[in-house]
Amino acid sequence: MTNILLVEELERSFDDLLAVAGVSFFVESGETYGLLGPNGAGKTTMISMIAGLLEADRGSIRVAGQPMATTSTAAKRAIGLVPQDIAIYPDLTAKENLAFFGSLYGMRGAALNARIETVLEIVGLRDRADDRSDQYSGGMKRRLNIAVGLLHEPQLLILDEPTVGVDPQSRNAILESVEALSTDGMSVLYTTHYMEEAERLCDRVGIIDNGLLVAEGSRRDLVDGIGQNDTVHVSGTGDLRSATEALRSAEGVVQAAEAHGVITVMVDRAAGRLPSILATCGEAGVSVTALDVSEPNLEAVFLHLTGKALRDET
Amino acid sequence: MRILTIARNALRRLFRDRSNIFFVFVLPIALVLLIGAQFGGGFTPTVGVTAPVGDELADRLVAELAELYQIREYEIRDELVLSVERGWVESGLEIPVRFTDSVLAGERPEIGYLSQPDTSGQGVQTAVSATLERILAPITAASVVSETQGIPLEQAEVVVQGVAGSVPPVQVETRTTGEALFPNLGQFDLGASSQLVLFMFLTGLTGSAALIQSRQLGVTRRMLSTPASTRTILAGEALGRLGVTLFQGVYIVAVTLVVFRVNWGDPLGAAAIMLVFGMVASSAAMLLGSLFSNDQQAGGIAVVLGLGLAALGGSMVPVEIFSSTMQSISMFTPHYWANDAFAELVRRDGSVADILPQLGVMAAYAVVLSALATWRLQRAITR
Repeated sequence: MTNILLVEELERSFDDLLAVAGVSFFVESGETYGLLGPNGAGKTTMISMIAGLLEADRGSIRVAGQPMATTSTAAKRAIGLVPQDIAIYPDLTAKENLAFFGSLYGMRGAALNARIETVLEIVGLRDRADDRSDQYSGGMKRRLNIAVGLLHEPQLLILDEPTVGVDPQSRNAILESVEALSTDGMSVLYTTHYMEEAERLCDRVGIIDNGLLVAEGSRRDLVDGIGQNDTVHVSGTGDLRSATEALRSAEGVVQAAEAHGVITVMVDRAAGRLPSILATCGEAGVSVTALDVSEPNLEAVFLHLTGKALRDET
Repeated sequence: MRILTIARNALRRLFRDRSNIFFVFVLPIALVLLIGAQFGGGFTPTVGVTAPVGDELADRLVAELAELYQIREYEIRDELVLSVERGWVESGLEIPVRFTDSVLAGERPEIGYLSQPDTSGQGVQTAVSATLERILAPITAASVVSETQGIPLEQAEVVVQGVAGSVPPVQVETRTTGEALFPNLGQFDLGASSQLVLFMFLTGLTGSAALIQSRQLGVTRRMLSTPASTRTILAGEALGRLGVTLFQGVYIVAVTLVVFRVNWGDPLGAAAIMLVFGMVASSAAMLLGSLFSNDQQAGGIAVVLGLGLAALGGSMVPVEIFSSTMQSISMFTPHYWANDAFAELVRRDGSVADILPQLGVMAAYAVVLSALATWRLQRAITR
């Protein structure tokens, strides 16, 4: 397989902050590659450089064999960007938005109109094509945002957290669209901080934290890499931070982290450790309200690699 | 083509904002009309009248006044009084019953005249008195002749008419002294050109908000991810702003030309002023759009700047009535040069050659503002 995207030693700083620190990875043709990391990990900065919006301080990017920079028109022709913001004109209809962006890609006339109909069908907005987009729900706006990225049939579709802030139904519709595109052979670079999305959509996942690519591989490779540890989620009230500290030194606990009222604990075998986890929480003054045990997944991988929990922040 | 696509989009979005329909289409024309009315010429006062039905002299009086004013007839005096009080008519005339009989009987019937002390009703009173004089003088004279000569009134009227025809009329000669402040100017000419300058700049400048919205929405960044270069995007946005200001200008010219028969002077000269001043306005809009990141803030500043510069540059009150100091300050605004160029075309029948200095100053404004705007915007959208 050929590489549709090749990123080598990419680096970018903002004043004293090193946002992307020498990242290298590739996306094969027809592959869906996920960049998984929490907010602020450097995903959007990386996407900005890959999409030619931002110059890299160091390193190189090649898209479909063409070098990518802010001035590269050939490489930009090969990508379709779906930014995290809903980057469409609210006072224009879906068709007008699509026609506008299509024209920027040099599309014209009947070919453009036909393609507009196709992408509206893909994202399920054909019935509302002539409505102004400010009359759309959040999920519909997100879908139109994706349609704009698909319009010129790019070789690489870049989706930057496309499901942020949408309802579960719209999220599922978006994920189904991406799955369908992937099945049709489109190469996709997908950034997210939702572990479930990365697991569902991506052939390979790169885990990013503090601007570094800390691990990369298929879901199976990454999970196998941390052994057969289970993950326990403890929800409760009280001093969760102290409880987390106490759990880190408890017997059989590999890693523990707290975020948004939930303690995520990685243990070698959950079944035998639950009583001691509950006891430790109780001693730290935490009243446990819910306990959830799951088999190894990407979240566990992230916890194992970074010592931090990767939680849904919505 | 991409530049045109971006520019066309700016125009399309202008019409999508419903508030623009008032500010772009209605307000400029309303102000031209208002200023034109202040300069006079087209305003016809309305006179309310109560008159006895079938009275010959009353009918003649009303018919003659109708040639000068709009007449609204009332049956009841109270309604007439109310109309004058409320300003629905400029003045009111009460012709008493048996008016003709009283005049012919040599009596001195009283005609009531109503007006507000501070309206054009005062002027109407003079015209009413003169009309009454003209109608009643021959009748009074015939009445005197009839009485003194002992002949019937109809015969006396013929005698009076014959004498009146042989008396040479008084000739009034009118001569102009001094220099008129605004020579060769039609009723709406001054208001139209000054409002054109005001609204081209104001509409252009408020367009800076659309530029900021595009950045806020992330649309500008998305455009950068397409094969359109930064230069293309900036050129497209600039052309879009220019299109908006030119549209505003062409609209005002077209409507005032057709509706108010405004004289815009040499068409080539007027087009040159609009083009160069439009470039100044669009460059200023681009600069404002690059300096602010909040569209509401920029919109507010745009209105203050647009109206402030217009006032200073002679678009609200002609600079000719400014003090000399204010006239000197006024010259720092692009509006001054645009208004001055229009004055050259309209008041002094100038041509393009005559307004080259004004065009040169405006072009300099456009170059400086667009250079600053390009530099700032490039930084703003590629950061």
